[in-house]
Amino acid sequence: MLHCVNMTVLERQQARTRKCHQQDQDQDQDYQRSSLFDVFSSSITMDGYDDSSLHMPVMPPPAPAPSSSSALSRTTTSIAPRVASSLASPTLGKKRKPLTQKVVAGGGGGGEQQSENIKKDKKVKVSGGEEESSKMSEQTNKEEVASAENSKGSSEAQNHKPDYIHVRARRGQATDSHSLAERVRREKISERMKYLQDLVPGCNKITGKAGMLDEIINYVQSLQRQVEFLSMKLAAVNPRLDLNIDDLFAKEVFPACAPNFQSIGMASSSEMSNNPAAAAAYLDFSSVQQLVSCSNGLINNIGMSMNPSPDMGIRKTIAPPLSVSLPETFLDSSSCFTQALPPSIWEGEFQIQNLYNVAFDQPIRTSSFPPSHPFTGLVEASNLKMEMEMEM
Amino acid sequence: MRNQSSVKQEFLRKWITGLRRYSCEKKNMSFFERKKAIKLSADLAMASTRDKTTRWSQALIANNTDNVFIASSSSSSPKKSSSSRSRNMTTLMRRSRPTRVKSAKKEMSSARCIAKRLMEKRTRKLKNLLPGGESMDEGCLVAETLDYIQSLRDQIEVMRCLVTASQLIINPS
Repeated sequence: MLHCVNMTVLERQQARTRKCHQQDQDQDQDYQRSSLFDVFSSSITMDGYDDSSLHMPVMPPPAPAPSSSSALSRTTTSIAPRVASSLASPTLGKKRKPLTQKVVAGGGGGGEQQSENIKKDKKVKVSGGEEESSKMSEQTNKEEVASAENSKGSSEAQNHKPDYIHVRARRGQATDSHSLAERVRREKISERMKYLQDLVPGCNKITGKAGMLDEIINYVQSLQRQVEFLSMKLAAVNPRLDLNIDDLFAKEVFPACAPNFQSIGMASSSEMSNNPAAAAAYLDFSSVQQLVSCSNGLINNIGMSMNPSPDMGIRKTIAPPLSVSLPETFLDSSSCFTQALPPSIWEGEFQIQNLYNVAFDQPIRTSSFPPSHPFTGLVEASNLKMEMEMEM
Repeated sequence: MRNQSSVKQEFLRKWITGLRRYSCEKKNMSFFERKKAIKLSADLAMASTRDKTTRWSQALIANNTDNVFIASSSSSSPKKSSSSRSRNMTTLMRRSRPTRVKSAKKEMSSARCIAKRLMEKRTRKLKNLLPGGESMDEGCLVAETLDYIQSLRDQIEVMRCLVTASQLIINPS
């Protein structure tokens, strides 16, 4: 048994040195990984083992904006010397040497200097990229590794950046290439399920994919229902879709000039009592502006005061261009509308600001999902019914 | 790390511009038309904040842009063409992926079979929930769900704020 281990070790060493050279050639630079999936596809996991001294904690991938691969390469280089040092420790002088399972992204290829503790070395190539199809290629023959790598690397370098995942068989488990690939896939999925557990409320106690999936399905359904109800509520509250208001967009672009909003509310409410017909028009005009400015202020408050949730670590900054096409002519044609309105509306009292502070506090409190009420949509439904009866 | 408040602001901005476009094209909408317009523009705005980096956002935009354009141009029934287009898209995507041939009904004696069937049922349900989810494999599905849930939460927060603000405006007492 030991004999064949040594034989394969030698072969593996040769193959590895060859691989390192080719990987250095193939990989040019880091590239921007802006999506969640790239983070997952090049994750590093290290597992500890029962009888080995190599105890590595599971490391969730850090998700900073610039490039995750640089972070990953940093972590691999930090891990590699640890592994090397522990390998040299005298506790590993056993006959049956403990095995390590290591999943390393391509950037860490140069850091690999493992020699003794290998049972079998498989290389699994995963291509991340904008299309989320992962191609797995497994090679058992060492001679094929070199040639296949070259061809695949050259072909894939054009399309995506290939991520090489080195997988080693765990002790006492099948070393079949298919089962190894399966294991990698399963671990990826379980890692993502852990993130989902943090997101979905009430999932901490559930262990098991089926129960988790059930909770996730319920949660997504309730969220979608909430969106429906909220849009119905908005449609009910606004008698017409008065968002053809001009200043709206201008106010959004220049939120600094939004402090008028506290004056608007008071003026509009007083107008309502005197002249309902005319005031209705003014109300519609001002209400949406208020909405925008309120929401801007609200969102700023939310951004500052909200506690960082666990899912913040997952997201990455995206620099999105406006994919919704905006006809710019709208702005020009509707800008004449402002001048028609009398400026008398913009008088105000500052008491209204307290009202808005109350409004700001309320949504923040209600936005947290209590785990005991997964179906908040039902509550919304009852409120909405009452409103609809009032409106119609 | 994704800045949540900036994402919400961006979502709000896009949503309102979409709504404005809607209301400019069509006056005197009924309640349900309004609700549909609000929801549609909200969904589109949410999907566009992800900037086509996720599959569900692409599918959402693809399914809904037909409705937007057709509804804005004419009042004739746009639903047929849009639904057929979306159906074509899903069939295309389904064909591009190799479909697994399901074996015949096995005996339900083994627990593993039962568990497997349950999992299949649930993943199918989740795929139906997620926009564009029919053509995803399991790993992709879980990641997309993650992203979708986060975006939905953001969307709901913004909508809720708008609703409370507009309610306060109308009833300041």
